[in-house]
Amino acid sequence: MDKKVAIAGYRMKGACDLITTRERLTFELTRGLFDDLGIDRHYVDTVIFSTNDFLDGRTISNVFLDPPAGAYLKDESKVEMDGLNALMYAFMRIQSGEYESALLVALSLCGYQVSPYLYIEYTLNPAYDRQLGLLNELSAAGLQAQSFLSKYGYSEDLIDEIAAQNLRNAALNPDQARGMNDASGKDVKQSPYLYEPLRELHTYPATDGGCAVLLVSEDKAGELTDKPVWVLGMGQSIETYYLGERGLYESRSTREAAERAYRMAGIDDPKRKVDFAEVSSLFAPQEPILCEALGLYDPGGAAAAYGGDNDISGSLPINPSGGPLGAHPICATGLFRLNEAVKQLRGEAGKNQVKKAEVAVVHAQDGVCAQQNAVVVLGT
Amino acid sequence: MRNVGIIGIGYTPVFVSKRKDVNIPEMISEAVENCYANTGLAPKDVDAMVFGNMHTFEGVNMPHLWAADHIAALGKPVMRIATGGSTGMSAIHAAYYHIASGMHDVVMVVCFEKQSEGDSQVGLMGIVTPELMAMLQAGIDVSGSSGMGAIAGGSAGAIAFQACSYLARSGAGIEHIDGMAALERRNAAKNPYAHLKDANATAATIAETPLISYPIRFGHICPTSDGATVAILASEEKAAKLVDEVAWIHGIANCASDASAGNILEGVITDPAEQMPCQIAAKQAYKRAGIEDPKKEIDYVEIYNGFAHQTLMFLEKLGMCEVGEAHKLLDAGDLEINGRCPVNASGGVVSTNAIGTSAMNRVTECALQILGRAGEHQVEKDVHKALAHGWGGLMQYVTVTILADAPQKS
Amino acid sequence: MEASPEDFFTPAVPLDFVYNYRVGTYIERYLEGFKEKKILASRCGDCGKVAVPPRMYCGPCNGRMEELLEVSQQGSLENFTIGHVLLEKGAVKAAPSPYMLGLIKLDGADSLLLARVEGVNAGAGALGMRVRAVWKDEVGGDYNDLDHFEPA
Repeated sequence: MDKKVAIAGYRMKGACDLITTRERLTFELTRGLFDDLGIDRHYVDTVIFSTNDFLDGRTISNVFLDPPAGAYLKDESKVEMDGLNALMYAFMRIQSGEYESALLVALSLCGYQVSPYLYIEYTLNPAYDRQLGLLNELSAAGLQAQSFLSKYGYSEDLIDEIAAQNLRNAALNPDQARGMNDASGKDVKQSPYLYEPLRELHTYPATDGGCAVLLVSEDKAGELTDKPVWVLGMGQSIETYYLGERGLYESRSTREAAERAYRMAGIDDPKRKVDFAEVSSLFAPQEPILCEALGLYDPGGAAAAYGGDNDISGSLPINPSGGPLGAHPICATGLFRLNEAVKQLRGEAGKNQVKKAEVAVVHAQDGVCAQQNAVVVLGT
Repeated sequence: MRNVGIIGIGYTPVFVSKRKDVNIPEMISEAVENCYANTGLAPKDVDAMVFGNMHTFEGVNMPHLWAADHIAALGKPVMRIATGGSTGMSAIHAAYYHIASGMHDVVMVVCFEKQSEGDSQVGLMGIVTPELMAMLQAGIDVSGSSGMGAIAGGSAGAIAFQACSYLARSGAGIEHIDGMAALERRNAAKNPYAHLKDANATAATIAETPLISYPIRFGHICPTSDGATVAILASEEKAAKLVDEVAWIHGIANCASDASAGNILEGVITDPAEQMPCQIAAKQAYKRAGIEDPKKEIDYVEIYNGFAHQTLMFLEKLGMCEVGEAHKLLDAGDLEINGRCPVNASGGVVSTNAIGTSAMNRVTECALQILGRAGEHQVEKDVHKALAHGWGGLMQYVTVTILADAPQKS
Repeated sequence: MEASPEDFFTPAVPLDFVYNYRVGTYIERYLEGFKEKKILASRCGDCGKVAVPPRMYCGPCNGRMEELLEVSQQGSLENFTIGHVLLEKGAVKAAPSPYMLGLIKLDGADSLLLARVEGVNAGAGALGMRVRAVWKDEVGGDYNDLDHFEPA
């Protein structure tokens, strides 16, 4: 890496039903971020969006957001995947030497009008899966959860506890859309089954929201913040679309993505070198699968790891923010995880603050049961 | 900064209205296979991929997920780019940055569209209807200039407005649009990968097609095509190891303005014929490519022209000729394949339009001309530097790529 | 900067699009096989992996799967979930009664086929159970001709 790239600041907003327009939300996020940093739109060299035409209900969704994002007459592009990939693209633009700063804007506003499960439903093969009608985001998550429990002989208590931990953490976090104070595994067990062993309280809430993040090259970081957070490594990978050919109890593409990110960051022992992780586990049973793939503990080590080590005050906190069970604004979720990590690394996470926060791993997913994954390593 | 070049290109065997014989990933895999075959490379040589299309046209969200197994993508980083009509060139630009940043060395770009499977109204309605219906429900007058912005997205309204404005500023007439369309359909007849071909097209035959909304005739309008385009980009060191000839990328740029017509923003009136983003992107690309006088230094141009008047309009906005000159070049025969300033030897978008590929094909066609591999539609003059232009969004999003036959000296 | 909800009016704009998909020749032949109550698969010429339903490409090998073959109607239940809900256009509705979805490894195939399963109790013994295909009485080359699997 020739030049280091830092996150100078962010603004985020997530709620279960935001009555606003996409343009207004974009403006509030970007104008707000510029005000926080004491800059205006002319400071920004390039803009990368992450929005989805289906969710926005219009094609070429990025162009409508150009003026409110301050992208008027600028070099702008759109990544139609989770926003963490927009960060990876922006990073490459800065590394090329052509740009010194990049603004990321990711958002989705569906509210009560559009079911978030349609997002995944439309990714399904229309020539087979959609016709057969058996596969959907929830049934896939149920199969993934069952596969994981069967593989390692865990009981459902484990995934109920994981959900409860996330809901408790989310309740402490003002940036989350929902949480549950003092949630326990028992509370989670009360919620009805969707696709056994997946329960309602294991799942993410339908969320509206978005964020704006400013990336800058190392030369500029100092003029904007005295707490830059550096992007140390990144990686991405994809596995087969065909669910019947994947080992659902593991996440091969997350492992590949993490290996690439760790290699770039010079991390050879993530269990020891990573202080905490923010993981886009849209369903509680996905979390241990993804964390194992991130090398945070050995295969089969979930039960031991979730015995307290992974909570906010533990040795390797997982989703101290409460994760996507607190908010899943599609397209922005991976960047929400990033922003939460930035909070931690700056010591600004309030009640969610972990003890040691110098190196973080951030993860984002796309597709059914995390078919595609992106991993970013951050450091102070 | 690293030099980046195009080392391989592959198309689906044809670009036609309906590919009934294959489903979406099968169609895309044809172009991927062709690219590997043309280059002599294998999937293991490619370290990352960029994928682009406008997915509302097929109703499949993020189709790279379904297509992954069919395009040799498993285990690789894959980035999906979507910016409307300019997707294809935005995808090339993304691949360029993948390599220029030093993060990757060999990147494959895959773009496609299979529009026959979609509702033909989805593109238009997908952009326009939500705004239009909301405006109507709020009692807003949609016949004024801000209403024109809503009736956009390639429909008769704003495009006709653009063409009229262009004709008024340039002094060209509708007969020039007829002539330009005819020239491109004749060129397309020489391109095996073009969709609408007519070796006998003339301004007169185009003028016989029905008028949609003055000055847009049916014969001026692009088709919708099914097809896929694949290209492999590589860093200078890798290119040297893998192939003998490279089409080098010297400068890229992009610019986006406001998505509606008739507004005044920062002193600029967003008249759809003004194309400020095109002017800005072109200047930026020329600067990065070290080009001071494009009229002299650029040998060949591929313009994104969903509508025939746009070839003439964009030639001027790209600085390839003065305002009011483009139609004179047309009249003088300068824009023909054997002309002084050949344009769209491929037939342009007006002859072939699988939307996800349309902007990308402008780059691949320039590359083929530089490499001397355009076959029957190879232009007569030597092509050392070429300009590819991509356009999309709501008439306000422009991408530009400058290619050359030698790597850029730093 | 924050606007209040009363400042916004939210018209609903229903958009109705109809898509017509080409399924491709592999799924076409798969469904033809259903007319004869046969389950067809494709085999990769390089690695020999057999995929059900059949498709043109083997992802890991990056090669075409040209050969079509019939696989057994019997196999083992490798994974399952009990559905208590149905998704209709994304909306979650209660299912009339719980139903099992299983991933089944048919003898001769390497990939798992997703299908409804009846007559199997979730619990010890379910995983690995031998199951067999049950067809609708009248088959016509429809996706749902293969109705469900039951204990063999």
